[in-house]
Amino acid sequence: MLPILVALPAAVILLWGLVRGRLPPALAVAGLALPAAAYGLGVLMVMEKSKDLHFCGSCHVMTPVVESLHATDGDSLAAIHYTRGLVPTAQACYTCHSGYGIWGTVGAKRAGVMHMVRAFTGWYVLPVHLNGTFDINSCLGCHAGAASFRAVTAHQDPDLQAALLNRSMSCTGACHPAAHPDAALTGGAAS
Amino acid sequence: MIRVACLLGLIALAVLVLTSVHLDGATATLFSFVGFPALAAAMGLYLLQRWRAGAFHSTGNSGPSIR
Repeated sequence: MLPILVALPAAVILLWGLVRGRLPPALAVAGLALPAAAYGLGVLMVMEKSKDLHFCGSCHVMTPVVESLHATDGDSLAAIHYTRGLVPTAQACYTCHSGYGIWGTVGAKRAGVMHMVRAFTGWYVLPVHLNGTFDINSCLGCHAGAASFRAVTAHQDPDLQAALLNRSMSCTGACHPAAHPDAALTGGAAS
Repeated sequence: MIRVACLLGLIALAVLVLTSVHLDGATATLFSFVGFPALAAAMGLYLLQRWRAGAFHSTGNSGPSIR
C-alpha cells in the first residue's frame, strides 16, 4: 500500500496541472519526484510479490503447471517437492526457477520480463519448454549437503558427479521424474 | 504540453494503483509496458517544456568569478 500512499498526493498535483495547464515550481518538483518515488516503491513491490505462486499461475499458460503441483501421484518432481513441503509453498516456482545465488535472482527477473512479452504477444510454442538448461545448482544448493543425498550410491559415482557438474546430465529425465507432467505444459489444451 | 504530461503521469499512477491493489500477470504487464513508458514520457515532456521555456539555459552569470 505504500506506493498508493505516495501516488495519491502525486495524483492531486498532476490533476492540478491538468486542470490549470501549469504548475508552480515547488509543485512541479513534487510532481516529478512523487510519481518517480511511487514507481520506485512499485518496482520493489512487484519484484517481491512476483515471487508468489499465485502470480506465476495467473497467466493462463502457467495455470495448469501450478495446478499440477497439487498432484500426489509422484509423477512430477515439482509436485513431490510442493506436496511434501520441501520448498516454500508460497514461492515454489521461484525457489527452483530463480537459479542459485544473487545472479539467479537477476536472471529470474530478466526472464520474467521476457515471459510477460511472450505471454502478451503470444510469442511462444506449446507445449512450453524450458528456455536453455535448468540450473541444477537450484537442486544441489539444498541436496548436495544432505546426508540422505550423499548416502545414495549413484550420487557417489565420480562419473555421474562430473556429468552433473559439467551439465551434460540433469537430475530429471534419466533418474528422477520430469519436473512437470507433459499434460500441464500444453497450456490447458489437449496434448 | 504540460497538460499532456500530467495526463500521462496520471495514467501511469492509475496503472500503479491498479497493480498495487491486484497484482497478477496482466497488471504486471501493464505496469511494465504501459505505466513505465507513460511515466517516462510524462517526465520527458515536462522537462522538454521547461527546457523550451529556458529553464536549463545558461545565462552566462552562473560561472565562478575569476576576479
